[in-house]
Amino acid sequence: MSTDVTIAAVAAARRPAVPRWVTLVVIWALLIAAPYWLPLLGGYTALAGRVLVFGLAAMGLNLLLGFTGVLSFGHAAYFGLGAYGAGLTLRYLVHSTPLAMLAGTLLGGLAGTLFGLLIVRRRGVYFAMCTIAFGQLWYYLAYSWNDFTGGFDGLRDFHREPIGFGPLTLDISEGGTRFYFFLLAIFAVAVTLLGLLVRSPFGHTLRAIRENERRARFLAIPVERQIWLSFSISCFFTALAGTLYALLNNFADPLALHYSLSGYFVVMCVMGGMRTFWGPLLGATVFVMLQDYISSMTVNWMSFVGTIFVLVVLFFPRGLLGLRRQRGET
Amino acid sequence: MRKLQLSWPVDRRTILKTSAAIAAVQFTSPYILKARGETPVRIGMVNPLTGVLSALAQSEVDGAKYAEAEINKKGGILGRQVELLVEDSANDVGTGVQKTRKLIDRDNVNAIIGDVNSGIAYAMSQVTNEKKIFHIVAGGHTDPITGTNCKWNVFRVCNTTTMDTSAITPELVKKFGKKWFFITPDYAYGHSLQDGFVKALTKLGGTFEGDMLPINNTDFSATLIKAKTFKPNVLLNNMGGLTQINCMKQFTQFGMQKEMALGGALFELESIKGCPPDAQAGWWDMEWWWNQPNVPEVVKFVADYRAATKKTPSARDWFGYVSMHSVRLAADKAKSLEGPKLAKALEDLELPPDVALQPGKVRYRAGDHELMPNIFIGEAHPPKSGPDDVFTVSALISGEEAAGSVADTGCKMVEPS
Repeated sequence: MSTDVTIAAVAAARRPAVPRWVTLVVIWALLIAAPYWLPLLGGYTALAGRVLVFGLAAMGLNLLLGFTGVLSFGHAAYFGLGAYGAGLTLRYLVHSTPLAMLAGTLLGGLAGTLFGLLIVRRRGVYFAMCTIAFGQLWYYLAYSWNDFTGGFDGLRDFHREPIGFGPLTLDISEGGTRFYFFLLAIFAVAVTLLGLLVRSPFGHTLRAIRENERRARFLAIPVERQIWLSFSISCFFTALAGTLYALLNNFADPLALHYSLSGYFVVMCVMGGMRTFWGPLLGATVFVMLQDYISSMTVNWMSFVGTIFVLVVLFFPRGLLGLRRQRGET
Repeated sequence: MRKLQLSWPVDRRTILKTSAAIAAVQFTSPYILKARGETPVRIGMVNPLTGVLSALAQSEVDGAKYAEAEINKKGGILGRQVELLVEDSANDVGTGVQKTRKLIDRDNVNAIIGDVNSGIAYAMSQVTNEKKIFHIVAGGHTDPITGTNCKWNVFRVCNTTTMDTSAITPELVKKFGKKWFFITPDYAYGHSLQDGFVKALTKLGGTFEGDMLPINNTDFSATLIKAKTFKPNVLLNNMGGLTQINCMKQFTQFGMQKEMALGGALFELESIKGCPPDAQAGWWDMEWWWNQPNVPEVVKFVADYRAATKKTPSARDWFGYVSMHSVRLAADKAKSLEGPKLAKALEDLELPPDVALQPGKVRYRAGDHELMPNIFIGEAHPPKSGPDDVFTVSALISGEEAAGSVADTGCKMVEPS
C-alpha cells in the first residue's frame, strides 16, 4: 500500500461526498419500499429477498475481505452450513424458525471459528487455497450423505414456521411482502451490529492490519488473533445469511456450499466496492438483478456478468461505490 | 458558500446526467409492462439450458415452441393466444426454484413445465403446489414425483424410472445374461433407476456390482477398470446427457465393447448422435421414437417438424410438445385456467392421436398423474438410412404394464383444500 492511497482512504472516510445520514436514509427508504417499487421495474418480492440474503452474506465476507484485507474463497461453506443447519433443524429437530436460524448460524459460525484457528498464519493465496479446500470438504459431505442431507437433490420437506411472540404470531409461511419485511428486519439488526463493529476500536485495528501488517504488529496489535476474530465474525454473518437463504427457498442444496458461490460473493464485494461498507450490498443487487434479467434473455448470461465485472475492475478498481468516494475526494 | 458546494456537490451536469438516466430507464423497463397489457395465456418452462443436461433441455424447449406456434395457429387456448416463457435453471436447484417463483409471481403464468433434472423438478413442485399452479414435469424421471411425493397439481409426461427399467430388464437378461455392472449418477434419478433395475434383476435371480459417480463426472477410467475385472454380461450406463456420452467414449477407448454388452434405460437420440460409431450400440428404452412408418400422424408430424425446425424430433421434443398440448387439452375440457380445475380435467384424459403420436391409447392415469404411453424397446446402431436412423424398435411395451398398479407407486393423492 503506498502512502498516498492510505491518505486518500483516510481522507475519504473522514469527508464523504454525501453526508452519511443522507446515504443511510436513501438506502433504508429504498429497502423498505422495495416491495412497492420493484414490481414497477419488472421485479418481484422474492428477488428483493434474494438481494438481501446475498447482500448480507457479501457484507459479512467484506469484514474480512475489505476491512481486514484477507481474501477468503470459501465463504460459501459457511453460507451453506447455515442453510443446512437451519434446514436440518426444521426437518429433524424442531419446527421453530428462530431455533433453526440460531442452529444454522452457530453451525456455520463455529465451523469457521475452529477452521480459522488452523489457517490464520497463512497469507494471500495460501490462505485462499485453504479456504477453498475446507469449503469443498463440506460440499462433498453434503453431496454424498444422501440419507441425511438429500445428496445432490438437496434437503427438502421442511418449510418456514410461523413465529410466536407470546400471544402474537408472525406468520411468514406464505412468503410475499411479510416475509420480505422479516428478512429486512434481520438484515437491519445484522448490518447495525456489523456497522458498530467496523467503527469500534476493533474495526480500526483490522483496517490497520489491512493497510500495513508489519506496522500493526509493531503497534502491538495481535495480528493473528484479530484476523482470526475477523474471520470468525464474518463466518457468523455469512452463516446467518445462509439460514435466511434456506428459509427463502424452503430448501438447501449442495451448490450453496460450492466454491463457485464463494467466487460470486467475492465478485459482489469487488463489484460494489470492497473498501466501502455498503458496497457489497450494491454489488449483490447488481449481480442478482443481472442474473435474473439477462438469464431470461440468453443462456450466456454469465458472459455478461463476467464482462461487467472485468469492466468494473479495469475502470473502477474501487468498485461502484468506491467511484463515488473518489469523485467526492477530488 | 464554497464549503457548502463541497459537501453537497450536485451541479448542473449531475442533474442532467441523472435525468438522462431516469429517461433511459423509462425506455428499458416498460417492455415488461407492455406485455402485460394484452392477456395471452402464459406457460412458463424451467429447464437446465446450461450444464450437462442442456442438449436434452433444449430439445424440450424446441418441442414446446413448436407446439406453441401450432396452438396459436389453431386459435390458442380458450380463444387466447399462448405465450411460452422459458427460463434457465442452470441445473441448479436454487436457481430453478427462484425462476419458478419469478414465472409465477412476476409473469403470472397459468401453468409451469419443467425440469429435466428430477431434483429440480421436485423442488419446483413444492413451489407450484404452494401457489396452486398447474405443473407438468416433462422430462424428470424419478419415481417419487408421481409416486410417494405425488401432488394434486403435478402431472408427468416422461416415464418413471420403474417403467423404463421393468420394460428393458427381461430383454437384457434374455439376450445377454444376469451378471450386470452399473455406472450410475449420484442423484435422485440415478438412485431411483438403479433401485428399479436391482429390484427387477434380483427377482430374476441376477447378480450385480456398480459405482455411483457425480452427476457431472468426466473421468470414468477407475470405474471402467473395475467393470472390466467384474466381467459382467451387460454394462448398464445410467449416466445422463453429456456424462453418458463421455462415459461411452471412454468405454470404446478401453476396447470394452468386445468384452461386454451395453444396455440400460435411456440412451436418447441426442446422446446416441454425440457418441462415436463404436459406442452407438446396446439395447435400450426409447420413450418415443420418430420412425413409426405405420402411424400416419407420426409421419406427418415428423415431416412438418423437420420443415419447421430443420431437425428430427427426439423423445425430448415430444415431451415438450405433449406438455404444451396437455395444457391446451385440460383448459379446453375445464373451460378454465385455474390450477385445481386444470388438474381435475387432465385426470384420465386420453391424448388425441395427433398429440399421442403412437399406436394405442395414451392417457394420464388419474391415480398418480403419470402418462401411460408405449415404451419402445430396441437396439442402437450407427446411422443407417439417415443421420437420425440410429435405433431400431423391436417391441412396444405398454406403459401401464410396465408401471404396475397405482398402489405399487405409493402415491396417495391429496386433493387441494
